[in-house]
Amino acid sequence: MISRLPQALVAPLIDENPITLHILGICSAVAITNSLYSALVMSAALTAVLCFSNVVISTIRHHLPHAVRIIVEVTVIASAVIVVDEMLQAFAPETSRILSVFVGLIITNCIVLGRAENFAAHNPAGVSFLDAVGNGLGFSLVLCTVATIRELFGTGGLLGWQIFPATDAGGWFEPNSLFLLPPSAFFIIGGIVWLIRSRKPQQREKAEFDIIASEPARSSRWST
Amino acid sequence: MDNDSPAKAILVVTITALVCSVLVSGAAVFLQPLQQAYADIERIRYIVQISGLVDSEAELSEFDIVSAYRDISLRLIDLESGSFDTDLDPQSFIDVSIENELQESVNIPAAQDTAALQSRPRWVAVYLVESDAELQRIIFPIYGRGMWSTIYGYLAIEGDLSTIAGVVFYEHGETPGIGDQIQRASWLAGWRGKRLYDEQRQLQFNIGTDSATSPAADYRVDGIAGATLTVNGVANMVRYWFGPHGYAPFMNQYLAELNL
Repeated sequence: MISRLPQALVAPLIDENPITLHILGICSAVAITNSLYSALVMSAALTAVLCFSNVVISTIRHHLPHAVRIIVEVTVIASAVIVVDEMLQAFAPETSRILSVFVGLIITNCIVLGRAENFAAHNPAGVSFLDAVGNGLGFSLVLCTVATIRELFGTGGLLGWQIFPATDAGGWFEPNSLFLLPPSAFFIIGGIVWLIRSRKPQQREKAEFDIIASEPARSSRWST
Repeated sequence: MDNDSPAKAILVVTITALVCSVLVSGAAVFLQPLQQAYADIERIRYIVQISGLVDSEAELSEFDIVSAYRDISLRLIDLESGSFDTDLDPQSFIDVSIENELQESVNIPAAQDTAALQSRPRWVAVYLVESDAELQRIIFPIYGRGMWSTIYGYLAIEGDLSTIAGVVFYEHGETPGIGDQIQRASWLAGWRGKRLYDEQRQLQFNIGTDSATSPAADYRVDGIAGATLTVNGVANMVRYWFGPHGYAPFMNQYLAELNL
């Protein structure tokens, strides 16, 4: 039991990272990583929701009827998300406006339901909490890495500080606005996945079927 | 109780729903004053932006907003009599979207209801910008149906009570990326200097594609391609609020008193 505790916290960082191994939570990872600040707020919001839902689900796991467990899990997650959203609107309204609909979309973030269903529903509250923190940090790690690359090369600055002097201010750096557009997040996440899987071959998925050589196409009866 | 019995399922779902709804509504109720305070300062920011007291393009700190707002006086118009009402406190009427027991609702005759409002309040709070006791601008609240939602805004008019000094829309639920272009600064800038009324105080204002070529170009604002229904809603609400059932009687009366 004791040996599982740090494992639950550390494994999701790289070995079982929800984004790079399970390819979950891509929607928000693509949408809000054009600035490090919004990535940090999104990470904090998702980690908070994940911790709350994992602890609650794990606490009531012995009383969860199998037939309605998903409904109960989604209700708990949705409530946590609404509370976080309301708090952002009250205490950080500017940020809330930047993140707009993506805070609400944490409800549909597969990481949260995935951890509730796969981990918290079968494990005690303490280790579920660590699992939530670990997965939250794993998500945050990828999000912040992607956001740092995108903001730095897209604007030449980070969190409002100018790091590379931009050309229109007399410097040498020409901001590449492709980095601010969603496709760049796909490239960067793809690069990170490739990097991790080339270092850790056990993460590579087995081929689901063999690719066979294609036969010459038969003439279609429509083309005559 | 057996975990897989229907009774247990109903019990668990009911308890979860109750606890979660208390949590969610509690958060909404307790945080509402903070959210409202933010909404108020945002509304004031928009008013200050078109007041002419600050550079309308500049980034404003909360201090700039509040200090400029102090130079704007709040007055209440009684739309039934078309004159200022000095008995009631205008502060209670500033937010048109909030219910107010002092307020009276007036039905709008169908023929004049271009903004599809059905009714409008009797009293409306407006903002006056004066310098040396001379009227510089009046800022009128306007609202009406867009494509999906009710659009709320302010329209600032210069001392001649016809020339548009600025316009903002501070709340709407129009299509992101299309209808929400009504908040784009470059489009709103095109309103500046256009006029609502001709020399005979007839309402001529409209929004259309002929804003540059039309003989009535002085009264035409550009449309937005792709957002026709939203823009039509905006045109209709301006035409309603500055028409004979809206602010026009008040303005005519004000001008008549000025010329006495």
